[in-house]
Amino acid sequence: MPMYGYHGRILEVDLTEGRVEPKGLDPALVRDYLGGRGLATRIFCDEADPACDPLGPDNVIVLATSPLIGTNAPTSCRGHMVFKSPLSGFIGSSNSGGSWANAFKAAGYDALVVKGRSSEPVTLDIGPGEARLLPAADLWGRDVHETTEALSGGPGNPSKVLCIGPAGENLVRIAAVANDRNRVYGRCGPGAVFGSKRLKAVRVSGREKTELADRELFRSGLDQAVYLLKQAPVTKRLLREMGTAGLVELINLIGMLPHRNFQDCTHREADVERISGETLARTFLERAGGCFLCPIGCQRHTTVPGRSGPDEKGEGPEYETTVLLGPVCGIYDLESITRANYRCNELGIDTISFGGTVACAMELFEKGLLGPGETGGMDLSFGRGETLERLVRMTAGREGIGDRLAEGSFRLASSCGSPGLSMTVKKLEIPGYDPRASFTQALGYMTSPTGACHLRGGYAVSLAFFGGTKEIPRYSLLQSPIAIRNMQNVGILQDSLGVCRFTGYAFATDPWVRMASGATGTDFSAARLEEIANRVASLERLFNVEAGATAGDDDLPARFSDLAIVVEGKERSLSSGDKDRMRRDYYAIRGWNDEGRPTPETLGALRVRRRG
Amino acid sequence: MTVKVKFFASFRDVFGVRERDLSLPEGAPVRSLLEAIADSPRRRAEIFEGEALKPLVVVMKNAVPIGSLEGLGTPLAEGDTVAVFPFMTGG
Repeated sequence: MPMYGYHGRILEVDLTEGRVEPKGLDPALVRDYLGGRGLATRIFCDEADPACDPLGPDNVIVLATSPLIGTNAPTSCRGHMVFKSPLSGFIGSSNSGGSWANAFKAAGYDALVVKGRSSEPVTLDIGPGEARLLPAADLWGRDVHETTEALSGGPGNPSKVLCIGPAGENLVRIAAVANDRNRVYGRCGPGAVFGSKRLKAVRVSGREKTELADRELFRSGLDQAVYLLKQAPVTKRLLREMGTAGLVELINLIGMLPHRNFQDCTHREADVERISGETLARTFLERAGGCFLCPIGCQRHTTVPGRSGPDEKGEGPEYETTVLLGPVCGIYDLESITRANYRCNELGIDTISFGGTVACAMELFEKGLLGPGETGGMDLSFGRGETLERLVRMTAGREGIGDRLAEGSFRLASSCGSPGLSMTVKKLEIPGYDPRASFTQALGYMTSPTGACHLRGGYAVSLAFFGGTKEIPRYSLLQSPIAIRNMQNVGILQDSLGVCRFTGYAFATDPWVRMASGATGTDFSAARLEEIANRVASLERLFNVEAGATAGDDDLPARFSDLAIVVEGKERSLSSGDKDRMRRDYYAIRGWNDEGRPTPETLGALRVRRRG
Repeated sequence: MTVKVKFFASFRDVFGVRERDLSLPEGAPVRSLLEAIADSPRRRAEIFEGEALKPLVVVMKNAVPIGSLEGLGTPLAEGDTVAVFPFMTGG
């Protein structure tokens, strides 16, 4: 009997032994974990020792697709990667759009498991009916774009390439893995894990179709989704017109736009306008673009003037990159931000963690904790946009001060004796929303399994726009735990369905229920999907607890308690008592004890088993 | 009293300006301000659905969503700033 929505196959690769072999996918696994993040997390937790060295051969990378990938469900192109993070030492979980995940599914697999470590650089080549390891010494040292071009094989070749750049090869802890040149699995340092395994790239091609169990049911969900995406202004045109950076001015309006390593949220309006999505659209934007099967089109295909030759073309910046390479570093120079974004894409670096690390270095420099002797004479003062591009190159190559930036902000600040100047949770850099301006977002950063991430931790910004009845949820100690749990669960489901966050602004679960049930023949009701989200959250937590996480790791840097910002005329900071209360309530809602450990009752009710 | 209204995103095109000052009677509610700026059928259709605020239109008084205040009945005072924009996201 066919396994509708799936191929029923996992490709397992042991790089130490040079072994590549397909294995069967247990149907019970996908009924309980769906696909994408859920499936990858379950397989990873079965395969990886929580105590393993993230950059050693025992770390495991799992990449999973979903039952909707391979169908024509809107935005169903997003693969999910799980590994132990070399930045945090806890679970790493990263998601990307692009066309690689779809091509991998078309090669006949639902998930890829990579173990061990090769003695020499290799490319994993997966074609119809065959998968093999190829030498990649000639690609080692090449950037993401060069590697993609070398492996793609030119026009007409359907191969899709997932690869690292020099940053991953050099074990830069904030290194990314890219597909389609500029779509990245950015957060938590997956590029360094690829580099540690000497895995330069994974090339895929294939034509296997994903069979649907109930076409009519699937179609009813698809039609509804497509209709609703065309109704909501944000998915119909706003993201296409302005990109995600259309949010920059609005986040400033509500006092949430961080400045100078999160020292405050105070900006001149004219400065913010210089880096807005509107300004980008008016200046460097050539055209909008979309990922595979995406009607929304938030990509920014841009051009900046050439320094001495022709104009430079590339992609970005989107919101997070604009803010982290911009105001967080005291920079409002859109051209410098855009160029640095291009270099991060080429060399394979996460722009959020890079911006957060540079901002930390700038504050250390400002405070005299990092001297010109250590920076090679470079002036790392806040606001110097011209330093960004050079710092990306130095970080990817681990040259000079770049060798210390490559370790991420926590290790950099700790090496200067001031870990408190690293704006991180679980050593992962905080994205572009100040947690003091939304307690809900703060709790999301605190309880995200991966560290400070707006995608794994839950995205509370829409609450800030719409408010509540009388009490504003973004400052509500009572409402924040349940609000952020709900947002996290929506994110787990979207990551497990292989679809984009932005669909959530056009419709909720119902179209996905019909598409997932129609694709698989399994009744993925809203209640069942909610149970899956709770199961995945508790499994991620269990891995972290077994890797050593305690409630103390679910905390923000002291700056957010000690230094208030002014929002709507009121001073806002997060006291220890407020954080303790929200964290305790959140744990209770999740069914975890006061230390954040899932209780035996919770694990039993959700049928979450330990490793193996 | 004079109240400032700021437009963001596509509403800058719809209303033709980034911001403008409006004179309103003392204590006038947000509804009065929105009625004043909705001075053509097209502009009205962007803001209102019948007499209610159109879904996915965000209105803030001094950076606080009016949904957390008194909705369209929220009273305005001299020097207030009202922001009006279509719901936008990013991240």
